[in-house]
Amino acid sequence: MISRRALELATAFLTGGFGVAVVVSSLDNGIGWSSAGVDAGTFPFLTGIIIVLGSLYNLVRGVVPAATLASVPIAITAIELRRLAGLFVPAAIFVAAIPLLGMYVASALYIFAVLAIPRQQSVPRALGMAAATALALYIVFERMFQVSLPHGALAAAFGF
Amino acid sequence: MDNLGELLHGFSIAVTLPHLALMVIGVLLGILVGVLPGLGAPNGVSLLLPLTFGMQPVSAIILLSSMYWGALFGGSVTSILFNIPGEPSSVATTFDGYPMARDGRPTRALATAFGSAAFGALIGVILITFLASWVAQVALAFGPAEYFAVYFLAFASFVGMGGAAPIKTVVALAIGFAIAAIGIDTVSGSVRLTMGVDELVKGVNFVVAVMGLFGIGELLVAVEEEFHARAVSSKIEWREVFRAIGRLPRHSVALLRSAAIGCWMGITPGGPTAASFMSYGIARRFSRRGRYFGTGEVEGIISPETADHAAGTSALLPMLSLGIPGSATAAVMMGGLMIWGLNPGPMLFVDQKDFVWGLIASMYVGNIVAVVLVLLTVPVFAALMRIPFVVIAPLIVIICVVGAYSVSNSYLDVVMMLGFGVVGYLFKKLFYPLAPLVLAIVIGDKAEDAFRQSMLISKGTLGIFFANKLVTCLIVAGIALLLLPLVLQLPRLWRKPASAATETTAQETAREKVTI
Repeated sequence: MISRRALELATAFLTGGFGVAVVVSSLDNGIGWSSAGVDAGTFPFLTGIIIVLGSLYNLVRGVVPAATLASVPIAITAIELRRLAGLFVPAAIFVAAIPLLGMYVASALYIFAVLAIPRQQSVPRALGMAAATALALYIVFERMFQVSLPHGALAAAFGF
Repeated sequence: MDNLGELLHGFSIAVTLPHLALMVIGVLLGILVGVLPGLGAPNGVSLLLPLTFGMQPVSAIILLSSMYWGALFGGSVTSILFNIPGEPSSVATTFDGYPMARDGRPTRALATAFGSAAFGALIGVILITFLASWVAQVALAFGPAEYFAVYFLAFASFVGMGGAAPIKTVVALAIGFAIAAIGIDTVSGSVRLTMGVDELVKGVNFVVAVMGLFGIGELLVAVEEEFHARAVSSKIEWREVFRAIGRLPRHSVALLRSAAIGCWMGITPGGPTAASFMSYGIARRFSRRGRYFGTGEVEGIISPETADHAAGTSALLPMLSLGIPGSATAAVMMGGLMIWGLNPGPMLFVDQKDFVWGLIASMYVGNIVAVVLVLLTVPVFAALMRIPFVVIAPLIVIICVVGAYSVSNSYLDVVMMLGFGVVGYLFKKLFYPLAPLVLAIVIGDKAEDAFRQSMLISKGTLGIFFANKLVTCLIVAGIALLLLPLVLQLPRLWRKPASAATETTAQETAREKVTI
């Protein structure tokens, strides 16, 4: 289980880290005033500084237990965390599998895995839904709107 | 009275068979994304965006805006029948809508909601009809400095009136600006903030961000609480519909007040969500039956619904006449405008009369179409909610993945979309506002260009922002809005030792909820 404070801290670190990256990266473009006007790096540099300062403030607010934060000590309970992982981990694996398997195979496998493995649906029904999803994607995108979705390295190896 | 003539011309464009068909399709798709949790108006509209590239801009905007109306209505359906807000902006509708429906008056709750929503939208469109071209005329005289001042005012009003923690709003805005700056700089041509990733040279598309932030993010929030769709009866009794709408004029004070709040929050970008909460709060304080709020009061439904739709509609006013969208969905539509080759802003009213007035006329017709369709289809969409969430969730993930990929056929976009999803979840969980983030991604470039152009004109002094009355007023108003939260804090600090801590925490959490 994750406390509200830990979540606030993690988010502040995330935004602050992004801010630092923006500041460092914008220094390459030059900041300040030159013959061509305001340098390209100036605006990003300023926004980076604002992000860092704001994140620091949020960080401090997260550490000092204000009345608000104390009233909701737990942000994510263990059960909620399991449900989150149950949605996010398969989704991440699905995205990671797209370059290899292609959109159609990956999404069919994804639907099948999510429905059949936790025994949400019977295996034949899950198979049917998986096939229907891939087919619907193919008809809508490849045929109707002529948008080519990635076919994947595997399909390329078989010569599609 | 020029406007009325133009409006009639607009009707001749909007009320044609193909456009009416587009409205019906748009509204139905909108109700669908509005009903499904995890899919909302912003990412629904951005999903549809790639499919409009081949269309006439007028047809495309009619399709997208109809989808927006549909989504606004669809969100209320699930709020009232299932106590599950399908859209963030219809959270406040659950407070009184669900209790009324549960007590055996679902038709009355729905009809009251739709009737007042249509009234709010109507006020919003009338405002646009009469005000938009005037604002555009004023804005024609704007130079870069005035433009930057207006952008500044828009961003400052998010901080001052958005309802979220001010510093969190500032951080969200600044992150949006930084994301907008990624890629090739339009002024100098140099490559910025790619952090060594070559593919980022083309920049980060706002559609990718919207898919992740609103799509995956909302899905992650929704999956946390295992909700059971305990539906109350979704049958519509038509006699009760007309009776409920006939009773609406009795609450004309609440209707007008909520419409005014909604229009104000829509034009100064506060957004529909903040508008509906603010309207509900004010109604509870001023209504004679205020203490019955939360148990199924009619005015508790009227207030948030009217304000929600008035804000959603009037959010298009600054988008059309200034090029500043008033809500996240308006920001996505404005991105569409730029993709279709139109330049949002006052020149639209000069160069693209057909487009502007066709859109405005379609807003009148589209909202009527939306009310009729939503009443007819309530049972159908209510049945949709009985599909288990575990089946819907992976389908929405696939829709978001395909949507992000099809923007520019790039796999990196899909990965970034997933990353934005995590950020969206964290931000929602911790009450960072998402609308200003999206707004900054869409118009960050333009704000920066305006700033740099004014600096070129003034040769580097900030004095140009105080050079004439108009620009000084805008800048001063912006600074005042930025400081507003600070000023509001002062009396609270004063009283703090005296007041009971329990009450302040309750208020604080209620206030935080506004930003969900």
